[in-house]
Amino acid sequence: MANSTHGLGGLTYDPKKRTRAPELNVLAALILIIVAFEVLGRVFIGDSFLFNTRDNVDTLFNEQRLQIIILQVAIVGIIALGVTQVIITGGIDLSSGSIVGVTAMITMSFAQVAMVNGNPNPKAIFGPEWMDLPVIVPLAVGLACGLLAGLINGWLIAYTRIPPFIATLGMMVAARGAAKWWSKGNPISFPTESYAAIGKGMMPVVIFVVLAVLFHLIMTQTKYGRHCYAIGSNEAAARMSGINVDGHKVLVYTIAGALASLAAIVLSSKNLTAQAGMGVMYELDAIAMAVIGGISLQGGRGSIIGTCLGALIFGVIISGFTFLKLDAYYQEMVKGGIIVGAVVLDQWRQGKRGRG
Amino acid sequence: MKKTLIVAGFAALMTTTALADGIGVSMARFDDNFLTVLRNGIQAQADAAGLSVQIEDAQDDVAKQLDQINNFIASGVDAIIVNPVDTSATQAMTDAAAAAGVPLVYVNRQPINVDTLPDNQAFVASNEVDSSSQGFTEQCNQWAAAGKTEVSVYVMQGQLSNQAAVQRTQNYYDVMDAGKCAVKVNIIDQQTANWSRDEAQNLMTNWLSTGAAFDGVLANNDEMALGAIQAMKAAGIDMASVIVSGVDATQDALASMQAGELDITVFQNAAAQGGGALDAAVKLAAGEAVEQKVYVPFELVTPANIANYLAKN
Repeated sequence: MANSTHGLGGLTYDPKKRTRAPELNVLAALILIIVAFEVLGRVFIGDSFLFNTRDNVDTLFNEQRLQIIILQVAIVGIIALGVTQVIITGGIDLSSGSIVGVTAMITMSFAQVAMVNGNPNPKAIFGPEWMDLPVIVPLAVGLACGLLAGLINGWLIAYTRIPPFIATLGMMVAARGAAKWWSKGNPISFPTESYAAIGKGMMPVVIFVVLAVLFHLIMTQTKYGRHCYAIGSNEAAARMSGINVDGHKVLVYTIAGALASLAAIVLSSKNLTAQAGMGVMYELDAIAMAVIGGISLQGGRGSIIGTCLGALIFGVIISGFTFLKLDAYYQEMVKGGIIVGAVVLDQWRQGKRGRG
Repeated sequence: MKKTLIVAGFAALMTTTALADGIGVSMARFDDNFLTVLRNGIQAQADAAGLSVQIEDAQDDVAKQLDQINNFIASGVDAIIVNPVDTSATQAMTDAAAAAGVPLVYVNRQPINVDTLPDNQAFVASNEVDSSSQGFTEQCNQWAAAGKTEVSVYVMQGQLSNQAAVQRTQNYYDVMDAGKCAVKVNIIDQQTANWSRDEAQNLMTNWLSTGAAFDGVLANNDEMALGAIQAMKAAGIDMASVIVSGVDATQDALASMQAGELDITVFQNAAAQGGGALDAAVKLAAGEAVEQKVYVPFELVTPANIANYLAKN
């Protein structure tokens, strides 16, 4: 009789009514989309999406395409890891795109070289004594920017009790202003070799994967992770059971800010430039990746694996549409449809489970 | 006592009106490389002439820009300079300024009502028709000089809602149709990278993954050309074997050209446009007649004449 009833509600446990892990659905969707592109490609343009069809290359898959699929979502993916833990606690972070902008600007100012092709750096922000610095300086400055912005977000949310939507909306507007103010809108370019190495080649993917594994372990294996889920599922209950909810929230938003600034460092390094408009809409792309990956905006549900799959779906769609030589209009329309579709499916599944 | 207060009050009122004088400027956006140079050009010229200018950021929002213009009118500026967010939304701005009798100068982007502007309004810009066509014609010549008769290229477009992006892309086709291109050009694919270096890098890598052979890239601006170059370098492509063209002649682009990567760009004189707009605004405010359409020419930049442009943008 051990599994007949649970708790005071007396709900009957029935293994047949257990839903599949939501990540499996996302994985199925990913495979479905890849197969769709493969079929469309073979039918309409006579080429393969995934497999190598070139004679001069000796690989089974089109490795270049596999690489770009992940590379083009790795940087927003880093942000999405931070946003995922925020959403799991029942919050939201709209400020990450703007934190990317301001961090990129400030960080790049400390990563400039003094001489470009034998001429003084035409985009110099500081004097020569602040140029050609060791890479640790811009890294530290950049992370400090993100930590500070995240700390302010977390403090506002935990202690003034304003909704996360409002607090991070304020940060989104303010940080974008700061990004434009820093150099009066001028782009900042020409970083040192060592700074440029951070985002070179497939490094953004390596950084993303390492962080994803780290955060997967944090969310599943540590007290920090369990508290995130507890707060997101039922904040009052979490408080009653002795969790320091306010302190935890400050930590969650601070980490999200730090990840956004890390994304900014990788992005500015990869592009060898920082511009005040960098990262616009990244917050929404990051949230969309999480939502497609089955993270519930109500909080308490979802996983890092889900977000990574969501990011992959994004990457596959972008590459797939370029592969089919379809215009960007369709890309955005389909992207919008997938975001809404993912949540509708999720709600429907939740509703079914609730009734079950 | 009462009288003194009233006089003081009037004096204060009069000083505020005096402060509100000057020229209001509404820029489409503050975080755009080229528009920043233009904005600095306006500011520098105003400082030199001892004029007060108030520069606002419309943040790419048509409605916000119209509000800013109405705010300028309400605060009694002498003239307004507008860098339109959307060139097809300028009629309302023209009407608002005309109704209040405030002179208005459009800068950099050609308003849709350019031919019907009232007498106290003007337009200062470079003619977009001359932009990428100059660069592309030069690109064709370089291919021909390299002994090619037929080439395959990729085209990177700017933001699709932007008139400059549409025009710069159209220029490629016009040059080909007019027979001004020395070689036969096959466009393999044409996509937008939204003026952005990062998006261009991703787009180029996606194109490279198809493995199609190509001879060059035509980019609507330098940022996208640089993104394409970074992607090609990452894929180990010899930059001497492809010809890449952009538009703007930004500092980053010139450095890339010095390094032997970017082959062609076109210089658009932002500072001259900004200065020209301010000049027109001041003259209109003083009631003088001005040329209603002022075109600042585009200039071709290649490694041969790059030295003339290093200090310009």
